[in-house]
Amino acid sequence: MALRVQFENNNEIGVFSKLTNSYCLVSIGGSENFYSTFESELSENIPVVHASLAGCRIIGRMCVGNKHGLLVPNSTFDTELQHIRNALPDTVKVQRIEERLSALGNVIACNDYVALVHPELDRETEEIIADVLKVEVFRQTIASNVLVGSYCVLSNQGGLVHPQTSIANQEELSSLLQVPLVAGTVNRGSEVVSAGMVVNDWCAFSGMDTTSTELQVIESIFKLNENAPSSITSSMRASLIESMS
Amino acid sequence: MDQIKVFDDKFKDLTSEKVSPVALDGNEDDDLTDCNKKREWQAANPNHHSCSFCRVEFPDIAAQREHYKLDWHRYNLKQNLLNREPVNEEEFNVKLADDLSSISGSDSEKEDVTIESLATAQGKIFLRGGPNGVIFSLYRCLLAEKKVEIEEGNLQKQLHGLRESKKWTILMLGGGHFAGAIFDGEVARIHKTFHCYTVRAGQGGSQSSRDNKNASSAPKSAGASLRRYNETALIQHVGDIIETWKEDLEASSLIFIRAAGPYNKSVLFGGKNPLLERSNPRIRTIPFSTRRATFTEVKRVHSILSTIYCYNSTEDATKQFIKQKSPNHHRSKGKNTSINRAKSRENIQRPLPTEIIYSEEEKIGGLIAEDVEISFTDILQPFEETERRKKRLPKKKEPEKKKGKTKAEKLQEQEIQRKREVRETIRDGNLDKLKNIYKSYEDFDVKLHEALDELGNCALHVSAMHDRLEILSYLLENGANLCSKNNKQQTPYSCSQIKNVRDYFKLYAIEHPDKFNYNKAQIPTPQPSDLSPEELAEKKRLQRKCKRDKEKEKKKEKIVVMKERVEQDRFANLSDREKRALAAERRILSQSGEVISRCFLCGSNIAGKVPFEYMANRFCTIDCLKAHRMKSPLTLS
Repeated sequence: MALRVQFENNNEIGVFSKLTNSYCLVSIGGSENFYSTFESELSENIPVVHASLAGCRIIGRMCVGNKHGLLVPNSTFDTELQHIRNALPDTVKVQRIEERLSALGNVIACNDYVALVHPELDRETEEIIADVLKVEVFRQTIASNVLVGSYCVLSNQGGLVHPQTSIANQEELSSLLQVPLVAGTVNRGSEVVSAGMVVNDWCAFSGMDTTSTELQVIESIFKLNENAPSSITSSMRASLIESMS
Repeated sequence: MDQIKVFDDKFKDLTSEKVSPVALDGNEDDDLTDCNKKREWQAANPNHHSCSFCRVEFPDIAAQREHYKLDWHRYNLKQNLLNREPVNEEEFNVKLADDLSSISGSDSEKEDVTIESLATAQGKIFLRGGPNGVIFSLYRCLLAEKKVEIEEGNLQKQLHGLRESKKWTILMLGGGHFAGAIFDGEVARIHKTFHCYTVRAGQGGSQSSRDNKNASSAPKSAGASLRRYNETALIQHVGDIIETWKEDLEASSLIFIRAAGPYNKSVLFGGKNPLLERSNPRIRTIPFSTRRATFTEVKRVHSILSTIYCYNSTEDATKQFIKQKSPNHHRSKGKNTSINRAKSRENIQRPLPTEIIYSEEEKIGGLIAEDVEISFTDILQPFEETERRKKRLPKKKEPEKKKGKTKAEKLQEQEIQRKREVRETIRDGNLDKLKNIYKSYEDFDVKLHEALDELGNCALHVSAMHDRLEILSYLLENGANLCSKNNKQQTPYSCSQIKNVRDYFKLYAIEHPDKFNYNKAQIPTPQPSDLSPEELAEKKRLQRKCKRDKEKEKKKEKIVVMKERVEQDRFANLSDREKRALAAERRILSQSGEVISRCFLCGSNIAGKVPFEYMANRFCTIDCLKAHRMKSPLTLS
């Protein structure tokens, strides 16, 4: 299921939320609409938690996590960390990391098995990522962009990358990640895909501006619709990529 | 590389047509070729198991994944980001095996010294012009002021100005020296130099700056007053000269000035009626270092400024420019470098002067000399001996060492063996054998108290731990000390948990009340009880009373807990409205005195905890909060 949502009239919902297979963080907003959309969809399976990091609402860009753990930047307050620890399941490890590139969500993209990271990330951080999130870490760039976390959305089923990623690069990445990848956009052509949507293995949320074509691509690559009409999406995908590149 | 003068006709030819600034690093072309190369490589390698950054292929996924963790890959990733060619593995290993700092997260702060930066440091710019697109360099200050940007639009105009007016003025001031000249083309029309004694001979610096430093104690020596007088005289004199040159100064298109320091600047720009206007757009500073202000120096400065270097191509320009400037650059660097004592010095391997090269005649002579037997053996014998000695010495020494070691080791081993034997006999309870062993010792008293294992347990401890009462009595008869402690500071009594042994020790303490200090041995000795049966009864009664009191207290506590639970249940069963009312009541009460706060759902006490709150209702846990939410769906605004 892919849903369209909006955070206080803003379509960049990936900035204000963090969705994984074992929990969902939603930033504290003025209205409960955003939160309740997530809760109605997810609360049967995973906890949906109100959170802020270092007093900021841009939690989706500040932190990175998967079903095994959550990494938050060093600037996170103790009370916030305590609240998150209280609210998340016990199996999820929560850790603060000291890293120069503090917007962890922008420099790290991960699913439950692999992580792509910024080429200039600290080696210690790399080790912590491998330990806490239990992933294999690869230093990579996406379409000559170092901000892999911003230009790539991953789940265990598939991945969506920057629209200008070359076919060769996509194939290389997908052989590395062992999931199918597609180059695409969200929010009516926004190339910052990670800011425009969040996804886990059974559910996706994207900005209100997302077109139905984009939604189709998302649903098919992340395998969100039960009976996937594979022929249609694959043909549509080809035409979409052609028009973008 | 040709040199031409600004005033030559050649320069006119060069600049008559379109002139444009040149970028020395041809980066744009490289980028394109790089991109193309990458694309070509990708096209030629349709295999999915490959790394396009390092341009290698892999047989399977495992190899590919391994590759992505190598430093080599990281290095190439960085190279790719900088638009550079990737290096292959051998190159990487040779070049960067020991310097991985560039790959790790932190950025190196080393600056690349490009020709561009060198050129700007030299105050020069490169231009392309003329019919053949010749590249030439000239001092930037000829074209524009420091703050004015040189753009293609106004470049032509600036060059035109440079070509048309050939009248330049150069003024140099420093250390009491003045040199000035007005050039028309390459010839100096008017020039004047003079020198005043203004610099303090011993200490250096001008007299005025010394006076300014400490106005109250200005030196009153004859020399000082002389210098003071000369300073004012210099200002006067320079003023006079510039006054007489006024017309030529107005006519000259460029005025180059070298006046270092505040005093020299004040001569030209200071005073009530300054000789020159600071804001005059024709005034330029000389963009390189100069020597003492003399007429020859002024001429040298003029010739350097007016020289233009022409190059055939961009590569030629960069090459020549680096060649031209690098020695200068190096010298300035050499002056600044200080020895880094934290680092070990570079180890230079010099060849040993063993090989002596003979000419052919000498070689023959050498051969003849080798034929002499005496010299040959002489050389050989001592050589052999030293060789032998070297080999023998360690061989001889090693067995000696071994023997020495073994002796000590053997002694140690024997000791350990003996102790183990004693321990085992005690454990087995073999009293006769133990007696025999102890009788065989000469220093019986010492051996009785020695530690038998690495925990510091002596014979008494061991026998107490193994419940060997007969051995204990034997040891005690022979004067073993009950107060001896092992490494854990335990006496024989406290190291044993066996009731039998403890009773035995207690009995022993009663039988021999003065033999040891039983407090030290940690053995509880019964106090002699001389209480009458009545007193005993009294004691018992008191004890019973104590017990009863304790029970009463427990009951009270139980009641409180029960009350709390009932309260909690009652609260939990209330409707939300009643709860709110209750909370409000509490709040009012809390202003007057103590009250506890309760979780809004389950009613448990959350005083002193950080509550979870929503809609101004407080909850003990996130679960309670969620449960309440689920129970009462929120009406969304």
